[in-house]
Amino acid sequence: MGTTITIIDYGMGNLRSVQNALHYLGVGAVISNSAASIASADALVLPGVGSFRPAMLALESTGLDQAIRDAVLTKGRNILGICLGMQLMGTSSTEDGVTQGLGLIPAPVERFSDRDGRKVPHIGFNTVTAAAQSQLMRGMQDKTDFYFVHSYRMSPLGLAGRVSTCDYGGLFVAAYEQANIFATQFHPEKSQTNGLLLLKNFLAL
Amino acid sequence: MLKKRLIFTLLYNNGQFMLSRNFRLQKVGDLGWLQTNYDFSKISFSIDEIVVLDVTRGVRDLDRFCDSMRALAENCFVPIAAGGGVGDIASARALLRSGADKIVVNSVIAEAPSSVVTLAREFGQQCIVASVDLRRDSDGDLQVLTKSGSRPEMESAYAYLSRLAEMPVGELYLNSIDRDGTGQGLDLSLLDVLPKALTQPVILAGGIGNASHMYQGLTDNRLDAVATAHLFNFVGDGLIRARQALIKDGIALAFWDLDILSRLEVNRWRGIH
Repeated sequence: MGTTITIIDYGMGNLRSVQNALHYLGVGAVISNSAASIASADALVLPGVGSFRPAMLALESTGLDQAIRDAVLTKGRNILGICLGMQLMGTSSTEDGVTQGLGLIPAPVERFSDRDGRKVPHIGFNTVTAAAQSQLMRGMQDKTDFYFVHSYRMSPLGLAGRVSTCDYGGLFVAAYEQANIFATQFHPEKSQTNGLLLLKNFLAL
Repeated sequence: MLKKRLIFTLLYNNGQFMLSRNFRLQKVGDLGWLQTNYDFSKISFSIDEIVVLDVTRGVRDLDRFCDSMRALAENCFVPIAAGGGVGDIASARALLRSGADKIVVNSVIAEAPSSVVTLAREFGQQCIVASVDLRRDSDGDLQVLTKSGSRPEMESAYAYLSRLAEMPVGELYLNSIDRDGTGQGLDLSLLDVLPKALTQPVILAGGIGNASHMYQGLTDNRLDAVATAHLFNFVGDGLIRARQALIKDGIALAFWDLDILSRLEVNRWRGIH
């Protein structure tokens, strides 16, 4: 594959594990914090470990937010947001007060309610029900286990697009696909062979 | 449904991996040994998570630890939590950039609780694993020890854990110093001192010698995960067989198809960027 993947570095998160997984699949991936690298990439990965507000501030202060929007919305490049990366693609988050997101996914990010006694963060492998016609989960069972670690999530209510869900005290968005915009709340790079297959599916798009 | 987790803990000491018994360390081998004798990248496909702790007594060499982390993480597609003497953003970031997904904190909880808050604000609460080492004193009361089990905390275990439950940590990793490395089974009575209001997932370590010990832990509804650090009890295909036995016995562990690996036509990218 001659594809160039840029893993967007905004000073946070475990970028290396995503790069390891892509390299394992035979694809070169650059970790970069430059707008030029985002502009020239065939596809983008926006990974994530961290808090929404400092992450969004880091993207904005470096102008990477605009570089991402240009690449995705103007040039139609594929993007895969992972965990916090997916949340940053939403409209806003209530973590540490309300912060605006990149707005690539028309849904706000909110904290799990712990009213029903569920433990928060939601940590571990949980079962994802694949959206009909899911491209990310092609070749997998309807229900596949992926690794999650998060306290905030998007609600699938009223969200258009191919939405794969997971149940943790109610359904939330486990994966989102719409045109060239892809995102997973779980960590494919940490989900053993299930995740490797998902990443391979993304690379093949 | 959220699955239970099987965790393997690696104890690192100045470039070597160690066995621990009641927190006394014994050298096993370096990373090369681990890869040759343990085929860790293969083993990692039978566990849900890896914890790597720098248990070096005295001065730790973070750069060297990070080098080992990078080598270890290269072929492991499973979450990795790393720690050992970590309490500041720079060290945490160095580990996260070397392949760790989560940071394990221990002594800093007692010494500088505000640093835990700072770490959580920077990396998110879910990124922080709070490790607590417990021992029964001569009266049979549980006591928290920090500094690699060398410093007893004055606070009662219940008070310590209650305070911890209110802190922005994502998980609790409880370890029994008395059972550590003994293979006598987990001490589930440690869970009796957990505060009722606890909302974070709980991992229990210390004493696992075989799959039935894992079963006992994973069927206790207060536990989300069990961890073993015993390199020799599960050597060879020990962990793979233990996982299969647990699934057969009805434990809800995650499933992934190892045959997918052959379908991925793996040909590692070795270019230079």
